[in-house]
Amino acid sequence: MCQDQTRPAAAQRSGAFRVENIRLDIGGRKILDDVTLDFPGGEITALVGHNGSGKSSLLKIMARQVPQTAGNVLFDTRSVSSLESREFARNVAYLPQDVSTGAGMTVRELIACGRYPWHGALGRFTADDRQKVEEALALTHLEPFADRLVETLSGGERQRAWIAMLVAQDSKCLLLDEPTSALDIAHQMEVLSLVRRLSHEKGLSVVIVLHDINMAARFGDGIHALRQGVVAASGRPAAIMRGETLREIYGIAMDVMPHPSLDLSLAYVS
Amino acid sequence: MTTARLGHHAGPAAIAAALAVIAALVAWLQVGPVLQAAPAEGYDIARMVLLYATLPRMATALLAGAALALSGALFQQVLRNPLASPTTLGISAGANLALAVATLFFPALLGFGRDLVALAGSALAAGVVFAIGARRGFSPFSLVLSGLVVGLWCGAFSAVLLLLNERYLVSLFIWGAGSLSQQSWDIPLSLLPKLGAVAVVSGLLMRPLSLLDLGEGGASSLGVSVTQLRFVAVAAAVALAAFVTSAVGVIGFIGLVAPTLARLAGAHRPRELLVWSSLIGAALLWLADGAVQYFAGAFSDFLPTGAVTAIFGSPLLLLLLPRLKIRHRGVEAPRQRVRRRGLDRRLALPVLLALLLALAVGLLLGRGLDGGWTWLDPRAANDILSLRAPKVFAALASGAALAVAGTILQRLTGNEMASPEVLGISAGATFGVVVAVFVVATPGLSAQLGFAALGSLGVLAIIFLMGLRSGLAPERVLLAGIALGAMVDAVVGILSATGDPRAIFLMRWMSGSTYNVDAATAGAVAVVAAVLIGIAVSARRWLDILPLGASAATALGLPLTVARLMLFGLAGLLSAAATLSVGPLSFIGLMAPHLAREAGFIRARPQMIAAAAFGGGLMVLADWAGRALAHPYQIPAGLVSALIGAPFLMLMLRRKA
Repeated sequence: MCQDQTRPAAAQRSGAFRVENIRLDIGGRKILDDVTLDFPGGEITALVGHNGSGKSSLLKIMARQVPQTAGNVLFDTRSVSSLESREFARNVAYLPQDVSTGAGMTVRELIACGRYPWHGALGRFTADDRQKVEEALALTHLEPFADRLVETLSGGERQRAWIAMLVAQDSKCLLLDEPTSALDIAHQMEVLSLVRRLSHEKGLSVVIVLHDINMAARFGDGIHALRQGVVAASGRPAAIMRGETLREIYGIAMDVMPHPSLDLSLAYVS
Repeated sequence: MTTARLGHHAGPAAIAAALAVIAALVAWLQVGPVLQAAPAEGYDIARMVLLYATLPRMATALLAGAALALSGALFQQVLRNPLASPTTLGISAGANLALAVATLFFPALLGFGRDLVALAGSALAAGVVFAIGARRGFSPFSLVLSGLVVGLWCGAFSAVLLLLNERYLVSLFIWGAGSLSQQSWDIPLSLLPKLGAVAVVSGLLMRPLSLLDLGEGGASSLGVSVTQLRFVAVAAAVALAAFVTSAVGVIGFIGLVAPTLARLAGAHRPRELLVWSSLIGAALLWLADGAVQYFAGAFSDFLPTGAVTAIFGSPLLLLLLPRLKIRHRGVEAPRQRVRRRGLDRRLALPVLLALLLALAVGLLLGRGLDGGWTWLDPRAANDILSLRAPKVFAALASGAALAVAGTILQRLTGNEMASPEVLGISAGATFGVVVAVFVVATPGLSAQLGFAALGSLGVLAIIFLMGLRSGLAPERVLLAGIALGAMVDAVVGILSATGDPRAIFLMRWMSGSTYNVDAATAGAVAVVAAVLIGIAVSARRWLDILPLGASAATALGLPLTVARLMLFGLAGLLSAAATLSVGPLSFIGLMAPHLAREAGFIRARPQMIAAAAFGGGLMVLADWAGRALAHPYQIPAGLVSALIGAPFLMLMLRRKA
């Protein structure tokens, strides 16, 4: 356990998550055990861990997709269970791991779905809604694809279209469950750069589940690592990217070396 | 090793033994008294019945049960699909239809070879089902759904033949529902060598079949010719089903339930599965038939065992459903071709014009007294229109309602083969009306509507509860619906076989005739349909977002359970209203949403409106065709649309995949 206490008072910015003593049991098996973590507002926090470490489950609990067995989830100091479902969706947007191919919609139509939390089932689709959709298209550089069918896009473009839908949702926080898992390295960079740009330009908080520790260190402002359902490490990337810490997270011999041109450490299996 | 093997076999063996013991007890109740009685002098009628009716019937039940179960197990093994069986793949229905057609039009063929006719019919049905399945990588659910559609279609066609040729086919109808009643040893004795030969072939297949479990690549790398093996195994399974159908008619669900029981009891390897399925199937049908005879008494000759097995088999399937491991997720995301967008606006006007044209034809074109084609005579306009208009508008409203219900269900379950007909919702409405007819002496319109709504909502509620445990996974919802639909059909079939006069009303009504529709009914159906379609259109945002997947929909703040509940309920009410005037058996609810989508109406609102137009128009044309084509007979609109619709749908699915 290596807790980094030197953060700025980011927890005061809006869009902050806090999970307290989260436990999750599924079919008698303990998936998460007494997890307490802070996800500061306006920052990108990466959730990492081995397969089955519970990182996706934690994200699903934060997104209210799965109810926790015990513990509290606070969003901007309010318990998320007190929020009505559309109100929650106006504050927190969630990207599931396996997104569909878009059910025959065009990119613009898919992005417009992100306005549902604002207009509801019967409300009018206003000029404001339309403007948010166009903004999301522009921010994600998807204008040339606006009238293409989502299923005709490549993997990276499709992932961008879904993120654009989350942008149109106009929430304070994005929860992304392995948005890069099916992408090649170029598209991973493309999607993660987009996420970082969105976070900086719009001041969004982002919690992102990632497989690749090097990507997490490169794009995350902070990293939370889980191991077998408990917090294994948590802190700034520089604090996590140490051989000893990585060995504790992944349970195999690992070490780091400096990036030849950037001020970064690269993890490798030794 | 031996003990392990024994322990492995204990489960299926125990089930087979238990079923056999109970069946033997039931059989003893029939046979015992005769054997115990002192043999009478000379002409002993009780002993004659025992020797030439009871015993051959039991032998037939054992043989047919074993053969059907073996056929089902073969299908399941070779297709790697736990839902395959002669019933679910439409094989039995194909054989049945072929025999009905041959009886009517080519009776000489039957003398030539009854089995060959049945074989041809079931091979044809299998060919159609597999041709569609092959395009979708033999995914279990597409295969079963296309089998179901083929089965429904064959049933509809048989029903038309029956309606038009009642005199010749009444006995065929009773037989068609699967009666094991025998007058001699001829059938079991002729069945034995045929089934035996196929069983030997299946035995030879056991070892290569078990290699198939490694997957296609694994099997062929070990030197198994997968294509050849598949062909032989499927041919054997089809032959078994065809022989049985040709001898005793359609016996539902044995071929599905027996292998499922065997598998749940612990038979996993192909050899165990094939052997124990056959034994369990034999015991199961023996027991079912014995129970039918015992409880129905003298009446049992007219009570088709096949319908009874469906009644018991489908709830069993429902119970087993949550425990069934479905090996690969069958429902793939529908692979749609890239379409030109913006098509829908330009097509709106033509669709509207086509609908008006259909209405005009339905109202104005008819057959005169001499049978010639004639436009409406202005002098008689009032008299004729007051008779025609209610039928036409009832057909329009029902078609539109079914189309919208189908659109809702397809979007809700994410399955393009979902529809009120396939999910058994229409059958539920039928069941409601059956209850109404038997409970209330002469149910009025509102009573009929109420009971139909109760029936369809009841089916929906069960489907919903069954599916809830699996998070309403579309494939389970579909299966639950299929099982319930089959059960309701069987109940109605049994009621019809009783010869109750009310059954004739039901038969006519089920076939979807607008014959009895008067102005009041038409008005009521139209108003109900219009209101419900209005509500459905206002729920368009839910219907747009739901296909994105459950977690995406929840993440957007959509109240998932409430939305699903409301939309399921809406589809149920729409189906109930439509079923009242056009019966449970049109394929409009399946067809119209596809037509709308093919025409480029993709999003929920345009798709619903276009589907309603297509559905209404098609139903009006079907109604008109039914009234005009076989003049002076009237073919029910529901049957006409089913006959035209199903092949069309198969073609479309084949092309799309």
